[in-house]
Amino acid sequence: MSAAEQQDGLGKYIGVYIGMLVITGIELLIASRHPSGGVLLASMLILAFLGAILGILYFMHLATENRTAIVAFTLFTVFVLAATTYGWTDSFRILFGAPFAK
Amino acid sequence: MSHSEVALGGQHAGHHVPVMEPSPFAVPAKKLAMWLFIISDIMTFAACLVAYGFLRNSTANWPRPFQSSTIISVLIMTFILMTSALVMAMAVRAARAGDRPAAFRLSMITLVAGLLFTLLHVREWFGMIGQGVTLFKNPWGTGLFGGAYFSVTGMELLHVIAALIALLIISLGYKSGRYTAVDLENIGLFWQFINIVWMFVVPLIYFMNLAG
Repeated sequence: MSAAEQQDGLGKYIGVYIGMLVITGIELLIASRHPSGGVLLASMLILAFLGAILGILYFMHLATENRTAIVAFTLFTVFVLAATTYGWTDSFRILFGAPFAK
Repeated sequence: MSHSEVALGGQHAGHHVPVMEPSPFAVPAKKLAMWLFIISDIMTFAACLVAYGFLRNSTANWPRPFQSSTIISVLIMTFILMTSALVMAMAVRAARAGDRPAAFRLSMITLVAGLLFTLLHVREWFGMIGQGVTLFKNPWGTGLFGGAYFSVTGMELLHVIAALIALLIISLGYKSGRYTAVDLENIGLFWQFINIVWMFVVPLIYFMNLAG
């Protein structure tokens, strides 16, 4: 690894680190304005996902992996997350009294 | 040796080569295993956070116990964990470049930061317990809060402690030559994963407390 490459890599890490700190700062700023629950939840999730993408791509070095690996890991993760939300409809059915029972 | 020779086995320079398949996605097998473990662990955390969100949404008197002192403490913990993630990424980079002493030194800094995070986390827990929060009751509202709060944050804490033990063992082994840069990179991946999970725990558990 050349000195220039090393310097470039370090700069990228520090950029990602600052980005993550800024994201947390924005989250706090939004939350401190006491928006409604739905707006706050949506904002928090979007910002958390942005921070996570930065971390996964650069701190976990997924950006430098094989392209097939990137696609495969992304697809697996999306599937896992989708599977986790499988229970939502049933949860709401329990809450609101079987609206989908017909 | 050609790709097909590796895949099918054969002779190379007079030696028998064991039958091996190339690693999928051109990723070392150990690293692939760590990625698959992390993906499965995402399911655990996502399930915990979704359950927390569902309980919070469906319970009318959900407590909001986090005062500004707690939020400040959580921000300090976040800063420490993110800094440790940066240092760990630098340790992995040093290990990849073959700089064993620097990689070890940076791993140890990550370890100290992780210990500090753990201590603050435990302090936070004791603060909650001191206010009367247990798994089944609390002074403010539904008893479900304690169970949900301690489950999510406890899962995070458990992962941090496990990662710290693994990081200590692998870093010492890496220094002595027993473990390779790939091993250090694997524990680095797990540490980064913990940091990413914390990025969801903080807004969804603590900042949502501030909703209007």
